Amino acid sequence: MISLPFALLVTATLGSVLAGLSCSIAGVFVVRLNMASIGFCMSHAAFAGAAFGLLVEVDPLPTAMLFATLTAVLLAPVANRAKLNTDVVIGIMFSLMIALAFIFLNLSPGEAASGTALRILWGSIFAVSEYDVLFLSLLSLVMLAFVVLFYKEIIALLFNKKLAQASGINTYVFMLAIVFLTGLAVSFSLKLVGGLLVYALIINPASTAYQFFWDFKKIMIFAPTIGVASCLSGFVFSLETDFPIGASIVIVSALVLAVSIAVSPKRRRRSSASFA
Amino acid sequence: MNGAQDAILLRGLSAVYEGESVPAIRDIDMSVASGDFICVVGPNGAGKTTLLEVINGILPHTSGEGTALGLSISENGDRIRKRIGYVIQNFEIDPLSPFLCRNVVMSGRAGMIGLLRFPAKHDWDVVNRALSLVGMESYASRPVGKLSGGEFQKILIARAIAQEPEVYLLDEPFSNLDIKARGDVDRLICELNRGGSTILMVSHDVGSIPLSCTRMILMDRGRIVAEGPRNEMLQTGEISDLLRCRGSEP
Ligand SMILES: Nc1ncnc2c1ncn2[C@@H]1O[C@H](COP(=O)(O)OP(=O)(O)O)[C@@H](O)[C@H]1O
Ligand SMILES: [Mg+2]
Repeated sequence: MISLPFALLVTATLGSVLAGLSCSIAGVFVVRLNMASIGFCMSHAAFAGAAFGLLVEVDPLPTAMLFATLTAVLLAPVANRAKLNTDVVIGIMFSLMIALAFIFLNLSPGEAASGTALRILWGSIFAVSEYDVLFLSLLSLVMLAFVVLFYKEIIALLFNKKLAQASGINTYVFMLAIVFLTGLAVSFSLKLVGGLLVYALIINPASTAYQFFWDFKKIMIFAPTIGVASCLSGFVFSLETDFPIGASIVIVSALVLAVSIAVSPKRRRRSSASFA
Repeated sequence: MNGAQDAILLRGLSAVYEGESVPAIRDIDMSVASGDFICVVGPNGAGKTTLLEVINGILPHTSGEGTALGLSISENGDRIRKRIGYVIQNFEIDPLSPFLCRNVVMSGRAGMIGLLRFPAKHDWDVVNRALSLVGMESYASRPVGKLSGGEFQKILIARAIAQEPEVYLLDEPFSNLDIKARGDVDRLICELNRGGSTILMVSHDVGSIPLSCTRMILMDRGRIVAEGPRNEMLQTGEISDLLRCRGSEP
């Protein structure tokens, strides 16, 4: 068990709660809209961006955001089409971004495997500043407001994009907003959870909630709850074991998802059908 | 081009899908007067679905021009779509779909209620009425993922009704329905038409043309090949020839 100074404990706890909250709300959209490949690419673009920040010796947050946003701008039109070949997109973007990240890390001043560089890979509570917590709080507020204010449009969009458009909703603007918010959630959570793992924090809590509930309102309540709980217990787990916090959070959330798939009431009786 | 009393007016309209060279619909001329009930029939792949999506502007047309409710379809997408109800050709329901039937039906009103407004009691009344019109009022709190194909189809129809549109675009509204449900939906569509709504329905099945339908349009390979009053068209044999000989292909 590691003991932490109180201020660091508060920052880390708040960071965990807010990262869990914003990432899992983004996940509710990403999972339902089949945007997993975009979320995946944006996470790793943010990772490459953060590594670039280290290289040019600026705060990794803005560069992570820049890379994630650029990827989103590149991929959003692709996502809006039906014929997206996700395997190809993932194959190209993922390997490209990881390669870029490693090149940036390798070129970074100081030792390549320095503590700072490794934090970008798997996250650290020591990397989270008060500013990061502030940004995460603002983002969480914006996301909650987005969900509350546009609840009926979100339901329409997540039920069926074409029908939502057909009833007069500007689906393109909503898709852009969702992609953009996801990019921010990824970038802001990256220092805590790490560039290689932040994607799991987007997908796992939301997928867990989708296993249990038929009512979208409950999913909107439980996905963030599961996300926050995974982050907090991951945090405690990492204090106990001295594992990196990102890895601990992802292990917890992956276990929760695995168990929930096994016991999901939605999957009973329908086991013959496959809906990937 | 004067679309004042025409619900839908198309002149020389063609649409080519991205990456394709052959237009999916070409040189479509069509006028649908307000209050009309028109059925478009044709074999699979004739371009019926494409036609509906071009009319409500989901799919951009590549040449020609068109108006819906007096507004140009290339410029007024969302404004037109708020006033046109669309029943999409049946798609697979995802059994994990996390929405209750009443939320799905309400989502039909999401566009017309407008941004930053919340559904009021009146909106829920309309939703409940739409659900009972299709005989699904007891399903309001059931998840859509658990419905059968026919029940889901009725929810999609209720969703369009809840929008209270002036024009309905119905894409194969009888697919997945058993004989009784077909009768119910048939009566319902005729009633909507009697209430003043304009209906443009497409179907690959000549046997399913409701009695209230006044005019039929026959489509094949993206073109209109014949049109006329319902009864005349059904007698010509042209329709059944086209549908039958195509239908027997593997
Ligand atoms: N997204 C698409 N991309 C390319 N071609 C398409 C697409 N959708 C439909 N088509 C083609 O357009 C033609 C008309 O299709 P459709 O309008 O769905 O016919 P129908 O509804 O009458 O069965 C078909 O040849 C079909 O293969
Ligand atoms: Mg069709």
